[in-house]
Amino acid sequence: MRRALPASRPWHSVAWLLWALAGAAVVQIAPSPVYVAIVIAMAWLVVEVHAPGGPYRRAFPILLTVGVLFSVVRVTLAVLTTHNGIDVITTIPHVTVPRLMGGFTLGGTIESSVLLQALAQGFTIVGMMAVFGAFNAVASHYELLQSSPRAFHELGLITTVALAFVPATIESAGAVREADRARTGGKVVRRGRVLRTVVPVLERGMERAMGLAESMDSRGFGHQPATRNEAVAGWLGLAGLLALGGAFLALIGRSTAPAAALGVCGGAAIACAAWIATRGHDRTRHRHRRMTGADWLMAAVACSAPVMIGIVSLAGNDTLAWLASPVTWPKVDPVVMLMTAPLLAPLLRTPARDTAPSPVIDLREPEPEPELAVP
Amino acid sequence: MSAIELHGLSFAYPDGPRSLGPVDLGVHAGEILLVVGTSGSGKSTLLRTINGLVPHATGGKLSGDVITFGRNVRAHKPRELADVVGFVHQDPEAQFVVDQVEADVAFVLENLAMTPEAMRRRVEEVLDALGIAHLRDRNPATLSGGERQRCAIAGALASAPSALVLDEPTSQLDPQGAEDVLAAVARLNADLGTTVVMSEHRLERAAPLADRAIEMSGGLVSEGPSSPGALLAEYPGAPSVTRLGRVLGWSPPPLTVREARRRAAETRMLDVLPDAGALASEARAAPGEPLLTGRGLAVRYGNTVALRDADVQIERGDVVALLGRNGSGKSTLLRVIARLLEPTRGTVAGRARAAYVPQDPNSLLFANTVREEIGKTLSLLGRRDPAAVATWIHRLHLEHVADRHPRSLSGGERQRVAIAAVAVGGADVLLLDEPTRGMDAASRHALEQAVADHARAGGAVVLATHDVELAARVATRAIVLGDGEIVASGNAREVLSGSLFAPQTLRVLPPYLTVEEVQQAMEHVG
Repeated sequence: MRRALPASRPWHSVAWLLWALAGAAVVQIAPSPVYVAIVIAMAWLVVEVHAPGGPYRRAFPILLTVGVLFSVVRVTLAVLTTHNGIDVITTIPHVTVPRLMGGFTLGGTIESSVLLQALAQGFTIVGMMAVFGAFNAVASHYELLQSSPRAFHELGLITTVALAFVPATIESAGAVREADRARTGGKVVRRGRVLRTVVPVLERGMERAMGLAESMDSRGFGHQPATRNEAVAGWLGLAGLLALGGAFLALIGRSTAPAAALGVCGGAAIACAAWIATRGHDRTRHRHRRMTGADWLMAAVACSAPVMIGIVSLAGNDTLAWLASPVTWPKVDPVVMLMTAPLLAPLLRTPARDTAPSPVIDLREPEPEPELAVP
Repeated sequence: MSAIELHGLSFAYPDGPRSLGPVDLGVHAGEILLVVGTSGSGKSTLLRTINGLVPHATGGKLSGDVITFGRNVRAHKPRELADVVGFVHQDPEAQFVVDQVEADVAFVLENLAMTPEAMRRRVEEVLDALGIAHLRDRNPATLSGGERQRCAIAGALASAPSALVLDEPTSQLDPQGAEDVLAAVARLNADLGTTVVMSEHRLERAAPLADRAIEMSGGLVSEGPSSPGALLAEYPGAPSVTRLGRVLGWSPPPLTVREARRRAAETRMLDVLPDAGALASEARAAPGEPLLTGRGLAVRYGNTVALRDADVQIERGDVVALLGRNGSGKSTLLRVIARLLEPTRGTVAGRARAAYVPQDPNSLLFANTVREEIGKTLSLLGRRDPAAVATWIHRLHLEHVADRHPRSLSGGERQRVAIAAVAVGGADVLLLDEPTRGMDAASRHALEQAVADHARAGGAVVLATHDVELAARVATRAIVLGDGEIVASGNAREVLSGSLFAPQTLRVLPPYLTVEEVQQAMEHVG
């Protein structure tokens, strides 16, 4: 069977990860709504061109929706709890919570500058979710797992399998809601619908998980008993995590020096644990695909966007962020807009279209094959 | 010495009564052993002991011994038997660990730490053996049921196990998918000498492949091991041709249409049976009052046309069979009639209420007992009618499980609970999507009776099904869909007679559609 030519193979998942990090960095460095909108549009374009068929394609709209929901909650909280006393649109009844619970005022004046600033900040959340939604839609999680250190394989595999349950659960919830409506001949009964939806979705998920666990067990997952190296790595990893936890506590207590020391020790312990576990790991990999020059080039081009915008930011460009007080339109710099263009690097090549036959079997007679021309 | 030996095997799930055994059985190397039996007879439990899923994954108490290629499963977990036994579940969806076919096939080899070179070669061989090399880069979620099950078998087979254990591998598939999967199994057995132990309800295709068969009942091997023909002679769930042979006194009864045709020709059976001309023109139901009428129905999902210009009329007393391959638009048409899906074009007219039972009964079940589940529909409709609940429990033969949790039942029983839970609402038109998936013969029989009763009581039933034998037994009208279009519609006998969808009896003794018709004719002859 002829394989697809390398030129039309999908980008490597590590290249996609670097692209997503570059996109997220651009959103962070240039959170002005205009630039965020450009990044979202680019992410959408990349998904349209590169996302393969299958359940993960829906990751983009789903994560985008999650981003919008987060933003709505954030904007609502910001508008109800932040009060500067200027640009007041209206005033609503307010209540001040007890001091023990923070002593802030809920309600009161609703201000246009606060609303617009919260909207802009919410939009950056949508931008981040768009970039990671696009990453989930286009990249192969298993390939990313294959590229991680072998010590993380089991953990990574479990994460990959868990990720696969997200689209399956969404699909399951849709089927359960439809079955609920069908049961009553189309009559919608809202009373108790949450229970009637949640129980079948959870039970289906549980049965699926049990089936998958059995399948993994039957196919030799965890076949090799833990080696001495892995045991040492396990303890070292635990010590590293405890050290990092200590570093975090020290940071909260503003003890910078102990925090730095613990952080370095913890990081080193975890790196050592990964190295030791990888050495003791005898699991092999099938056709481990490595990053090619083209993959590195795509990632490098994409990463040039945040680097250039970062330089512009250091140079004092005032269009990157937008302050809503006083209320003005966001400023736009065509040069910065141009600097986001490298995020379209994945479009340097388009993927081979899936030409496999659809599950629907054609009833029509196949056309006769042309006879070979004899010279 | 047998390849797989079961000595005094018995098993009880945690806190449960004994569900299996005592069983003594030997499976010879290189044979195909077929395990038949009703739902809940212990087939799956027996199969799952062979690679140690029972008791290692389930818990419970196992006594006796299972020796699989010299390894006792008591001392070896499933993962330690992965190199000698490949296991395939009935639900292909629950088996994929990786979202790419090729990587999923290699999963077991990576776990067994095979060298990359040997792994590469093995994966190619397995992809070729199952005929799925063209699917290697696909996500299993985008494949058809038959393709998915073949990929699952490839995943189980990659370690070149000496035995393959398949738990109802075709129960979720359409006839073409089932054909592909069983052909692949037969090829593996013939070419590689792989020992196969397989349980099945749909025996039309599986029985002719088997070397020996056993029947399970109440956790025991009640019949066999013996030749499939001899064992199925008295088995209620036997293929139609076998039951036909039984009625006509052919011994041993045939397992294939080809064999039955030869026997029919030898015994000049068509000359013996009364002239069937009257039978062929007989209409099985007089046209009744129209309940629902769909005109010019069309549905598009994005760029895909799922249904185009479909006209359908459902009348009182109708049992309509919707036939067609996976993806031909059967479910879409049912969902449009049920008004769960708005058609892109066309309308459904009529005041009759239509209730739809989805393919997967698990979408519906949430109550703690079967009785409560069925009663819940009435309470959602604002009614309380214990008599109606009891009627549907009785109609679908669910009395013995009425107080059990629906999730603890077999697939066929769950399906019947879902049908009862929808039908009890009193809808005139019942729309059943693949109602016999995974059902044993007793469940199918109960369903057929309930369908006929509902139609006789003035309702109508529309069944989307791959099961032409079911259509032949219960349908008054048949509609064949292909690529979203209605390609044939009319009296069930006429539609089924003139197509590749012909049931087995019709292919042997035309124009008789069912074994029951032949039996009546024989009684008439005396």
